[in-house]
Amino acid sequence: MISYIAGPEKLICRFEDRMDTVQCQAVEKEIFEKLQGVGTPIVFDLERVAYIASSFLRICLRACKEAGAERFSLIHVCPEVKKVFKIAGFDRQINIQ
Amino acid sequence: MSEKISAPIDVNAVMEKAACAAAVFSQLDQEHTDRIVRAVYEAGFNNRVRLAKLAVDETGVGNWRDKVLKNVVATQLVYEDIKDHKTVGIISEDKELGIVEIAQPLGPIFAVIPVTNPTSTVMFKILIALKTRNPVIIHPHSRAIKCSCEAARICYEAALAEDAPEDCIQWMEKTTREETHALMQHPKLALILATGGGSLVNAAYSSGTPALGVGAGNVPVFLERSADIPFAVEQILISKTFDNGTICASEQALVVEKPLAAKVIKEFEKRNARVLSDEEVRRVEKVAYDEERMMMSMAVVGKTAPEIAKLAGIDVPPQTTLLIAPLEGIGRAHPLSAEILAPILAFYVAEDFQNAVNLCIDLNYFGGIGHTVSLFSNDEEKIKQFASVMNAGRVVVNMPSSQGAVGGMYNTLHPSFTLGCGTGGKNITTDNITTKHLLNIQRISRRRVNRRLEHFDKALYLDESLDAKAIEKEYNRNY
Repeated sequence: MISYIAGPEKLICRFEDRMDTVQCQAVEKEIFEKLQGVGTPIVFDLERVAYIASSFLRICLRACKEAGAERFSLIHVCPEVKKVFKIAGFDRQINIQ
Repeated sequence: MSEKISAPIDVNAVMEKAACAAAVFSQLDQEHTDRIVRAVYEAGFNNRVRLAKLAVDETGVGNWRDKVLKNVVATQLVYEDIKDHKTVGIISEDKELGIVEIAQPLGPIFAVIPVTNPTSTVMFKILIALKTRNPVIIHPHSRAIKCSCEAARICYEAALAEDAPEDCIQWMEKTTREETHALMQHPKLALILATGGGSLVNAAYSSGTPALGVGAGNVPVFLERSADIPFAVEQILISKTFDNGTICASEQALVVEKPLAAKVIKEFEKRNARVLSDEEVRRVEKVAYDEERMMMSMAVVGKTAPEIAKLAGIDVPPQTTLLIAPLEGIGRAHPLSAEILAPILAFYVAEDFQNAVNLCIDLNYFGGIGHTVSLFSNDEEKIKQFASVMNAGRVVVNMPSSQGAVGGMYNTLHPSFTLGCGTGGKNITTDNITTKHLLNIQRISRRRVNRRLEHFDKALYLDESLDAKAIEKEYNRNY
């Protein structure tokens, strides 16, 4: 389940609960359709996310590449999820707060 | 979904997938981890016969019935051994000592697979890796690629069905030497589990990545005077003929004291073993030992006794179980005193107990340091005496050495297809490798002040005239 908050300064995508393989498969197309042509920076809000699968890592990486690293960030990342990005080495490519 | 890795290999891509799998795996709790492990065990076990036949068809080594048993050990027995191991989160808490232990995974593991036990080693390594939440990359032996990859594929499908992380298992169909070394040295690799021949194990240790390897075996079996001879001979045959002698812990040389020698030979002959003449020993040496490479010849590894005899131009009945080679010495001049993974058993007659143990030491040190030694005895003192002078991680007593060293069948050693040989074998442990070797253990330590140190006047340490005894006296005062 994802909610979108579009403002003049950024587009926030708020994710809920477990971003497992099944969930990611269900939402991937929707996300990238939404992000297409967005001119403002993109923020993935992971406050309500407790678990992520490899497919979510790929979604983040793709979003980061398409938006540009300086215009993409993850916010409200819990330590357990932050650790996942760290172990995968993605914290060097993606701005995580 | 297939996680096979085909040549040419993008090493960085393989390792990035493995790192992502490690990252996702780190989130799983014990319950989910155990569900994955259970599913993989069942899938492997259910395919035990097909994989065994595949292994023999492809490698030409061993026999399929015994390879089924190897697959059973690698799945059912390993699973039974590890299923209750705590491998996630807090695994122990000692309130008195104030120490809490937390199990953390290592990260991606590179698993080297031997030609002698391909499918069983694949499944064993996958089970212990997944149980400890470590993704694994399977590197098959070049002569066992198809069966090893098939075993890995079966395990992976079962793991994914339980929502295991993608790429938690990858397997390589073909690699160049350079690609293998690049993988071994990759900064994202956490550990190499190296089971196989010397050169790959050495490469693992030289890579800079932590490695758990194995050593070669040259197992002496000593029938001490108090041994039950018929029983001992039966056990040795169970071991030596198992999968045509391909387990590295199988007996390579038999040592008996003179008064027992004739009876021992008779018991072997009753069981269709053939004692070779001097001339026949020389013929078998030529086919069983590669002088150029100074090691056993692959031509005999995993072959039956009649097949080996035929290669050597010796006529034996088809039901022959074992070729026994009486030898006078140990070393390069006596090639059959070296490790030969086949139903060939060197035979030595010793004057007495001391002489017999000395022969065993020589055999142990001739290419088998740290591995396994075997003894049949009912004399507790002699058992301890014997064990204390051997350099072997496993001293198996009154059991078949192959199955005994692997563990879980005739003793309570952890069932394992990677047997550490300690520093003698250039390994870091003598253990049978299991889950505990694939964890980083963190310790939370709470304040528990050292009472004696707290109450001791530390200024006394600065007084050079006070020696250890004087300090100790003060340190322990009123304690």
